[in-house]
Amino acid sequence: MQIKYLFLLLSLVFFKVSLFASNIKDTMSVGFNTYVDNGDVQVYSPTLSLFKKVSHNWMLGFKMRIDAITAASITNGSGSGHVDVVTGASKKEGQLFDDVRYAPTLIATYDDGINTLSFGGYISEELDYSGKSLFANYVRQLNAQNTALGVGISQSFDKWKPIFNRALPTNKREEGKIDISINQLITPKFSIQGVYSYMKGTGFLASPYHYILQNDIAKFENYPESRVGQAYALKGVYMLGKDDAINASYRYYKDDWDITSHTINVEELHDYSRSFTSGLRVRYYTQSKSNFIKDIGTYTLNDKYYAVDYRMSAFDSFDVGVPFIYRMRKGDKVSASIDYYQTTNNDYIKHWYGVSHLSALYTTLTYEFGY
Amino acid sequence: MYRVYFLLLSLLIFSGCMNPLVRVMPYEKEYLAQDKMKLSPLPERAEQEGHIFLIREASAGGESTFQGGCGCR
Repeated sequence: MQIKYLFLLLSLVFFKVSLFASNIKDTMSVGFNTYVDNGDVQVYSPTLSLFKKVSHNWMLGFKMRIDAITAASITNGSGSGHVDVVTGASKKEGQLFDDVRYAPTLIATYDDGINTLSFGGYISEELDYSGKSLFANYVRQLNAQNTALGVGISQSFDKWKPIFNRALPTNKREEGKIDISINQLITPKFSIQGVYSYMKGTGFLASPYHYILQNDIAKFENYPESRVGQAYALKGVYMLGKDDAINASYRYYKDDWDITSHTINVEELHDYSRSFTSGLRVRYYTQSKSNFIKDIGTYTLNDKYYAVDYRMSAFDSFDVGVPFIYRMRKGDKVSASIDYYQTTNNDYIKHWYGVSHLSALYTTLTYEFGY
Repeated sequence: MYRVYFLLLSLLIFSGCMNPLVRVMPYEKEYLAQDKMKLSPLPERAEQEGHIFLIREASAGGESTFQGGCGCR
């Protein structure tokens, strides 16, 4: 009888240990992403990530992303210039790309099955901009892992380095972000997530290259030096049948520049076999204009702020995409996606890019494997 | 105001009113482990599109993931 109780006790202990075992494992992935739009911007991005378990609960990770950018023939308001992916860049002789951005990330993760803590640093270096960020994210599993509460914080310390000799009011741009998230399992076939984000940006928040050229005015863009935004998102995944799942999300965003936006994303995924999954995704986005942008040609010398970037104006965008997931033996996985993105017609896009709207095609391809 | 609601909800979850939230037992999580049931079924796409939407639109946030800054914004 005592042996029976001992066996039961040991079973419970081992069950608890296996239930809360660390989820970390050695993985590596290589990928190649592309982005091409009708503003003549092309970006080719090889990616690499490597995660190595260093103890039962600790893992170190390294991620590297390289963006090779060309944007040679962009209309760019009233002529091409040396600028970045937003405004277009003119290729230097002998260079294959106009700008190359290197973005390595170092991550350390602790995971004991109940608590997961990740923290690290990120660097981004390109011709006219350098970014440095620190981030940390903590997730606590509750209710027999039915509920997960997460808190994330990040702070960037970025600097502009305009490629022509322009004195900016400040070359700093610092952005802080706090995310609070709750994940909850509702049924064995339904889970939801809520996320709240608080963001604050300070420093030079405009592009140093966008300018206003009217009959009597030639001014670079000038925005307020502070911006506070908040986002509320709700996501859910529901299994429709044995082989189908629908993933839907809604996000509301607002900030103190009076920009508000609504984003709806719906994706249906179907298992065509045990190894292959694909589907269709649609996304709709709409935003209102900032409180300082004015119609093109109506700025005066008395204006405090100047903006011609379409992102400060009201517009909508649509995205349609097809994802692919192919699972191989031993847990290796190939995932890919192709998406078409388009904005609605916009006077500021017409003014700057010389096209009525922006349309883009972007793809991802990743091979992930354990080692 | 939304933040107050959010804090109240968090406190509720942290308090003793949590048993009703155990809706799924460990042996019932088979479906939830499948790729198609993940909130972000393609993490690389999520990272790529997160970067593109940050560049092409004025909104941000709503993701519990980190996105580093770049001069494209």
